[in-house]
Amino acid sequence: MKMVSLSLGLLILIAGCSGERPRPRPELNGLLRQSVSSRRDPSLAQVWLASLGKRGGRERIELIDLRNRRPVPLPGLNRADAQPISLSVSGDGARIAVVQQRDDRTELFLYRRNAAALQRIPLDPPGVPRSVSLDGSGRLLAVEVSRNGRWDVDLIRLP
Amino acid sequence: MERASGGLLATSQQDPALSGNGKWLAVISDLRGRQTVQLRNVINGSIQALPQLKRHQPHSSPSLSWNGRYIALITQHGRRRMAVIADRLNGRLHPIQLPGGRDPIQVSLAPDAQTLALQVTDQGLWRVEIFDLSDVLEIDRPAGQALSTPPLTPAP
Repeated sequence: MKMVSLSLGLLILIAGCSGERPRPRPELNGLLRQSVSSRRDPSLAQVWLASLGKRGGRERIELIDLRNRRPVPLPGLNRADAQPISLSVSGDGARIAVVQQRDDRTELFLYRRNAAALQRIPLDPPGVPRSVSLDGSGRLLAVEVSRNGRWDVDLIRLP
Repeated sequence: MERASGGLLATSQQDPALSGNGKWLAVISDLRGRQTVQLRNVINGSIQALPQLKRHQPHSSPSLSWNGRYIALITQHGRRRMAVIADRLNGRLHPIQLPGGRDPIQVSLAPDAQTLALQVTDQGLWRVEIFDLSDVLEIDRPAGQALSTPPLTPAP
């Protein structure tokens, strides 16, 4: 019995020292804490992190280039009268799908960075979108939609 | 537009996550009152078993790597929420330990499975923290992508 517990202890020790564990990125995590009172809804692409950062009581969509740890401009995306709810970034960082609320309407949008254009994506049949996910190419979108008290997931192919 | 087909027992589907290659869709379904992750093949609608995640519901916030080899999500272990990554190739489950009593809320796995973003609660506030997984997981890269092998030197 003593032998078993000794072996188990040794095993745990070896596992603990093997270094095979997720390593925090302090330089990035410090940056992500700076200048926002809270941050939520992370979406990682290859070298991009999109998230919702709160400043001065207002949440904004931010896209950070992880190579140089700098936010990139997103002209036309963050409207003063809109509250973002959920987001997802494509693999190359070129497209961001956003669910946002404005004037009591919650709608799904696609933002294309190269055109700085925010395009509404209609839901058919109509419903209230919530959580959204883009694939790597940014041409397939999955969105959680509330219809008559039930949550469905719609798949939408985008041009 | 397509609708993700529900399983026979599914009453609702939430928290969708697509794999990088667009072939896999993870959703959280209400199965007999338990929030359980389901992995669907987008092309033929078939559901893949995830035996290593059978326990520890409720599940939430799934996230998939490029080919769907890895699935990251939030599970419940006793009274604590925990982020885990399941490797569908070898059946291993990698727990993500968070120091300091912080609770994970949401997770996002980079398509190559080398980086993880976690939304946590820290003293009542939401934070996003990034973890390097390169010591833990193999790269899940798009099919046909060139490996970083050094170029052959031309013969003299």
